[in-house]
Amino acid sequence: MEYAAVGNKENVFRARKKKKISVGQYILAFILGLYTLFCLLPILLVFVTAFSDDKSIASNGYSYFPEKWSLEGFRYVFKYGRQLFTSYGVTIFITVVGTIFGLLIMSMFAFALSRRDFMFRKFLSVYILIPMLFSGGQLANYLVFTSSYKLKDSLLLLIIPLSVSTMNIIILRTYIQTSIPEELMDSARIDGAGEYRTFFQIVMPLMKPVLASVGFMMATAYWNDWQNALLYIDTASKNPLQLLLIRIQKNIEFLLNNKNISGAALAAIQKGIPEYSATMATVLTVIGPIMIAYPFFQKYFIKGLTVGSIKG
Amino acid sequence: MKYFLHNTWKHRAHVLMCIPVILILFFFNYVPMAGLSLAFKRFDYNKGIWGSPFVKFENFKFLMASGKTFTRMTLNTLKYYFIFLILGTSLNIALAIAIDQFVFKRLGKAMQSIMIIPVFISYAAVQFIVYAFLSNNGMVNNVIQFFGGEPIRWYINPKYWTAILTIVKMWNGVGYGSVLFMSVLAGIDQELYEAAKIDGANKRQQIMHITLPSLVPMTTIIILLSVGGIMRSDTGLFYQVTRNSGILYPTTQVIDSYVLNSMLTTSSYGFSAAATFYQSVVGLILILLANYTVRKIEPDNALF
Repeated sequence: MEYAAVGNKENVFRARKKKKISVGQYILAFILGLYTLFCLLPILLVFVTAFSDDKSIASNGYSYFPEKWSLEGFRYVFKYGRQLFTSYGVTIFITVVGTIFGLLIMSMFAFALSRRDFMFRKFLSVYILIPMLFSGGQLANYLVFTSSYKLKDSLLLLIIPLSVSTMNIIILRTYIQTSIPEELMDSARIDGAGEYRTFFQIVMPLMKPVLASVGFMMATAYWNDWQNALLYIDTASKNPLQLLLIRIQKNIEFLLNNKNISGAALAAIQKGIPEYSATMATVLTVIGPIMIAYPFFQKYFIKGLTVGSIKG
Repeated sequence: MKYFLHNTWKHRAHVLMCIPVILILFFFNYVPMAGLSLAFKRFDYNKGIWGSPFVKFENFKFLMASGKTFTRMTLNTLKYYFIFLILGTSLNIALAIAIDQFVFKRLGKAMQSIMIIPVFISYAAVQFIVYAFLSNNGMVNNVIQFFGGEPIRWYINPKYWTAILTIVKMWNGVGYGSVLFMSVLAGIDQELYEAAKIDGANKRQQIMHITLPSLVPMTTIIILLSVGGIMRSDTGLFYQVTRNSGILYPTTQVIDSYVLNSMLTTSSYGFSAAATFYQSVVGLILILLANYTVRKIEPDNALF
C-alpha cells in the first residue's frame, strides 16, 4: 500500500517534469508577478516610510530608498503612549469579544438551521435573508441606536451590529451540512446526549476549520471598523485604533493648516512633528497585528470561503 | 398547524439556540427598517424617531430642490457601482483563471496570498497610503518628475478621481474576490478538460467553453446580491480615501458619503432621510426585479 503511494507520487513527479512548460506560462508568470508587485508595493511603502528619516522625505518626497533611516516616527507614536495603549486595549476587546460572541450565536443558529426536520427553519431562512436584501440605511441605524436605544458612546454599538451576518450564517450552515456526518450527531443522540451536548461537544469541535475562517474575517471586520467608531464613540478612553488613526490625521492636518498660528510657531510645530514617518508608523501599528495574524489563518480562510460558496 | 407546533416543541432546544440571532437581527436590522419612516417626518431629537411629527413629502422636496447635488450624487453612485461591478467581476474571473491555469502551483499560491492582503487594511489606513502616492511630493509625482514631467496636484483635481478610486478599489478587492471564483474552478471535473483535449480543443477554447460557462452561476449570484446595494457604496473609499475633500465632490460624492457627512456635521436630517429612503427602496425594487428576471431565464441561478 505504502509502496504504491510512493510510486504513484513519483509518477506524478516525473509526469510533471516531462511536461514541457510553454512560453505562455512564463508570460503568465510575468503578468501575475506584476500584479503581485502592484498589491505589495503600497504596503511596502508603509514600512519604508515608517522607518525613514522625516527630513529626507520632506526634501526628496516619499521614496523606497530613503537617504536616512530613523526611528523618530515610532518615538512620536509612543508619545501618544497612554492613548495608543488604551486604543489597543479597546480594539482588542471588541475584536475578541465580538468575534467569540458572534461565532457562538451564529453557529448555534446555523446548527438549528441544518436540522432538516425542523419546520421553523423555513421561516428562519427568510428571516435572515431579508436583512441582506433590504436595510434601513445608515441614517435610520444611527438615529434608532442613539435616540431610541440611547446607546451613544457605548461599546455595545461597536460589538453587536457586526456580530451577525447572513453570509456567515450561510457559510457555517453549509459547512455543518456538508462536512459533519449526520450519523455522528444521530449516534450522539442515541447515546443520550441532549441537543446542547451534541452541539457543544460534537459539532463545535468539528467546526474548527470553518470557525477559524469565519472568525478571521469577523476579527478583521472588527479590527478595521472605523465608521461605527466615528459615529458613536466620543470618550477618549473608548476610542479604538481606527478612530485614533483618524484623529491623528485630523490633528496633523489641523496643526499644519491652521491659519491662526504664526509662521514662526507653525515652523516650530512642523519641526516637532515627524509628519510623514509618524503617520506611517501609526498606520503600521494599526495594521501590523492583522499582517502578523494573516499567514496563520490564511489556509483556513481560503478553505472556508470555498466550502461556504457552494450554494446550499 | 398542529403538526407545526408539535414539531416546533420537539425542536425547542433549537428554537432556543436561534433566539440570540433572532433578537439581534430584530433590534439592529428590522427596527431600523421601520426607521425609514423618518423620510416622512421632521426629526425631533426630544421626541425620537417614533414620536416625531409627520410632514408628508416635505423631505422629498429637499431632494428635488437641491436638484444638481442630488442628481450628481445619484449619478456618481451609479457610475461607481457599474465600474466596480463590471471591472471588478471581470478582473476577479480573469485572475482566478490565470492562477488556476498557472503550472507553478506553489508560486501561484504565494502570489495569491499577497494579493489578498490589501482587503484586510481598513480605509482609514489606506488613505494614508494613497496620500503617500498622490501628495505633492508623493511617489507618483516623484516618478513623473524623474521622467521630466510636471507634477500633478491630485488632491485638487476632481477629474482624476474616478480612475484613482477605481484603482484603489481594485487593489483592495480583486485578490480577495478571485478566491470565490477559484473555489468554483477547483470544482470543475478535470475529465471535461481531458475530453476537450482529445477532441482537439486548445487552451483558449477550453476556457471559452468549459471554464467560463461553469462560472455563470456564481457570477449571477454575486451580481444579484450586489444589485440590492446599487445605491450604496463602500463608504470608506469615498469618505476616507478622498479625505472627504469638498473640491473632489463633483466626481467622488456618493449618497452614502453625503449621508455620513450630514450625520457627523448637521442636526437636520430631512434631506438625508429622504435620500436613504430612496436608496433602500430603489435597491429593493431592483433586486426583486433582477431576481424575477433570472428566475425566468435560469431558475437554478435565482437567489430565492
